[in-house]
Formats: sequence, C-alpha cells, structure tokens
Amino acid sequence: MKVGFFVGCNTSFNRPDLEQAVRYAFPALGIELDNLEGQSCCPSWGTMPSVDVVGWCAVGARNHTIAEEKGLDIVTVCGSCYGSLAESKYKMDTNSEIKASVNEILKEIGREYKGTSKVRLAHYYLYHELGPERIKEALKHRLDGLTVALQPGCHTLWPSKVYYDKEEDPFHPKVLKEMCEALGATVGHYTRLIDCCGMGAMRSTDMEKSFNLVQKKLLSMKEEVNPDLIVTGCSSCLIQFDTAQEFLRNGKKINFQIPVLHFMQVLALCLGADREQVTGLAKTDVGPVVNRILAG
Amino acid sequence: MSNVQVATGVINLSEGDPGLVDEIKELGGEELLECIQCAKCAAACPMVLAGFSFFNKRVIQAILLGLRDALLDDSSIWACQSCNRCTEVCPREVNPFEIIQAMRRVAIREFALPTLSIEGLKSLYDTGHAVYLAGAGSTRAKVGLPEKPYSTVANPKALKELQAVIRQTALADLGIIPMDESDVTETCEV
Ligand code: SF4
Ligand code: SF4
Repeated sequence: MKVGFFVGCNTSFNRPDLEQAVRYAFPALGIELDNLEGQSCCPSWGTMPSVDVVGWCAVGARNHTIAEEKGLDIVTVCGSCYGSLAESKYKMDTNSEIKASVNEILKEIGREYKGTSKVRLAHYYLYHELGPERIKEALKHRLDGLTVALQPGCHTLWPSKVYYDKEEDPFHPKVLKEMCEALGATVGHYTRLIDCCGMGAMRSTDMEKSFNLVQKKLLSMKEEVNPDLIVTGCSSCLIQFDTAQEFLRNGKKINFQIPVLHFMQVLALCLGADREQVTGLAKTDVGPVVNRILAG
Repeated sequence: MSNVQVATGVINLSEGDPGLVDEIKELGGEELLECIQCAKCAAACPMVLAGFSFFNKRVIQAILLGLRDALLDDSSIWACQSCNRCTEVCPREVNPFEIIQAMRRVAIREFALPTLSIEGLKSLYDTGHAVYLAGAGSTRAKVGLPEKPYSTVANPKALKELQAVIRQTALADLGIIPMDESDVTETCEV
C-alpha cells in the first residue's frame, strides 16, 4: 500500500513533530508514503478561495495532479488541507465548467486535472484501510488507564457531501473515538465535543473571541471528562489547544493544564517512535503523559 | 450604513444596493435567493457563539437588503471558520458558507481585505505556502527532518509552475499583490 503525503503549511513549519509522527506511523503499519514532491499550499481559506472559485480550484488542482500522475490517493493530517482539497475536488468533479476553466489554466504548465485521486484524512484512512483490529496488533505501547477528551475538528466532518470518508452522522462522530479506544484509551464524552476550537480565520480576526471558544471547550472537557490528554484529529486544533492554554492561564481564565497531541502522534508513540521526534514541539507539557503511554 | 444608523439600529433601505445580490450570485453564491431566513445555520455557527455581528444568516439578510457598506465595514466575514456546519444543516441547500466566501470576493474586488490575507496571498505566490515560517528549518532539523519540506520551497521548478498558474487567475487581474520575480520571502502566519 502506498499513499501521497500532503503535508501542508502548519504541519511542516509549525509542528514538524506531527509530520514525523506520520512518517513513522504509516511505514510502521506497512504503508509507504510518497512525498508528492513539488506540492504547494492547499490553498487555505483566507487566500485563493476568498478571491475566486476557479483560481482556488486551479491551485488545488495542481496538487491533485501530482498525486494523480502517480496513481495515489492523498492523505493529510490538517483539517484545512483536507477541507480545501476535498472541496476543490468536489467543485471540479460536479461542475464541468469549473473543471474546463481549470484545465485551460493547467494547460500552460502541461498538466490536466482528471479527478482520479481521493483526498483522505490520515486516521480515517487507517480506520478504513486497516481497521482498528489490525492497528491493535501492531502496538508496542497502549493507553490503558488513560482518559482522553477528543477534538475531532470541523473540517473532518462538514460538509459531509465533499468527503470520501464519511461519518454515519457527522454531528455524532465515531471514527476518532474508536481509533483512540483501539489504543486502549477511555474516551469521555463532553457536551461541547463538536464545537469549534476557534483557530484559523477567527483567531486571525479576533484573538480574544477565538480564545473564548477554546476556553469554553476546555472548561467543558475539564468538568465533564477531567482528561489526562486531549487528542485532536486536526493540526490546527492541535496548535490552538496547545498554545492557548498558557495564555488563558495567564489571564486567569483557566487554572489547569491538559496535554494535547494529534491522534497520529499518539499512534506513533504507541508504535514505538522516538518521543522527542514525534512530540518534541509541544508547548503544553506532555512529558508525564508520554511517560505513562510508554510505560503502558 | 453610517455610524448613527448602526447606533440607533435604523437601516435606511433606500440606500441599499440592489446590485449586490447579482454580484454575490456571480461570485459563487448562486443559491442566495433560496434562503428563507430560518436561522438553522445561525444555530450551528461558531461565529454566533463567539459574538461576531455578521454571521451566515445575517450576512445573507444584509446582502438581500443591499447593505454593502455595513458588511465591508465589519470584519465578521473574515472570521468565518469555513467549518461548513451551516452548509451541512441548511434545509434549502443555500450553501451559506459559499455566500460568505462570495461576500469576501466582493470585498476583495473593492480592496477591502485584511492585511493578513494580503500577506497570505503574497506568501503563497512567493513560496507556495500561505502560512510560511522563514525560521522553521531549525525546528524541522530538531525533530530529524530535512530543513525544507518536499514542497515548492525545496523545488524551484514546482514554484515556477505554481506561479504560472496563479498568474492566470483573478488574483493577477485584481493586482492585489506584486507578482514580479524579485520578491523577498518573509514569515507569514495567516
Ligand atoms: S441559509 Fe439556509 S439555514 Fe440559513 S437561514 Fe437561510 S435557509 Fe435557513
Ligand atoms: S462556515 Fe462560517 S458561517 Fe458557516 S457555520 Fe462555519 S463559521 Fe459559521
């Protein structure tokens, strides 16, 4: 099995430890990663999509064609990349005018968008292609005895029509929960599970309002689950939960800290990865919880 | 809409711009007129929870009333998370998120876009990444990765390709960012 790794911006520049986690976990599970060399930004929402539909799709399409040429699907760990690439694909696949305009643009660089590669989110890919049971068999460490709270991430769920890997009910998502349970964790339910974390455009526009949202989520998690760890399904959510806590503590908005890791980081640890390489850039201390995982 | 009107909550409908509806439909918000203002989208929108004044339903209402300036004067449309909760729940398939995007496209045509978006677009053109951290090489090396990812930043031919694509899009026609060869790349976090 082989897939193309779409690494995007935030993962490569902000949290390359998450990139390393993917680079460790996929091969450890027998899946080869192709680097999709020459890939660019997805492009993300505040840029090309906010300017023009065809321009957005054209930049996305160039990325799609790199995977298509190799006959590979695209996997990513970032919600924005997943959402933008899946939506641009949906637009081109369902609207022949957009597709034709895009291909007119791509002609100049000798490329053509065909629509043959799927866009997948890393943990959904593993869930569907390997399944929790096969992943369980490969584990060197487990999360037994640890309680986690989940942050699935908006773009992993909606709009469900554009995604290849769908939740049965995107307002009651199950995949990330089942994957964490496969690692041995107890997954606690809290009321604000599907709320937005406030990262992205909202944080760029108004940081205080954005932090209000993540504060509401953190309080709901703390009161209802009291987790040892927050597990996210999206790199942007990871960055928001990881960096906002210190800020909120300094402003006396919260009086606790909860370590945060992306699911792929937790999986990589459980498969035997080097802890510094796959979690070394966390701002909120993950040391004690990583010790517990490695002891499990 | 003037500040007095905002303060008193009075909207002078005779000042509304009837052309705004057509502009939105042309720029991607084709289903605008299907909206029945039921507010299902608003009930799901994180912008409402966070306290922004113009969220999906209200943006649509303002467009239908032609309140172009009120929307351009407010930063709310730029806070939309692109989360698509609204698109998922709308019973009329209005695609409210697409309407917010279309309103951003209107704003951009009037050069009413946030500095961060301009920087993101420039960074996308210069490096291939809207979010780019010039000093990330050492962070990457610290966790055992090559200093540059396998993207346009490590591949000049791919970057040229991307730039050739972007030069054929509306972004080039609008002239929002310089597209010459000599640009220096700085850090950009959108
Ligand atoms: S966009 Fe859809 S959900 Fe929102 S108010 Fe209009 S009809 Fe209702
Ligand atoms: S896409 Fe934007 S408008 Fe729609 S629910 Fe999300 S934040 Fe609100």
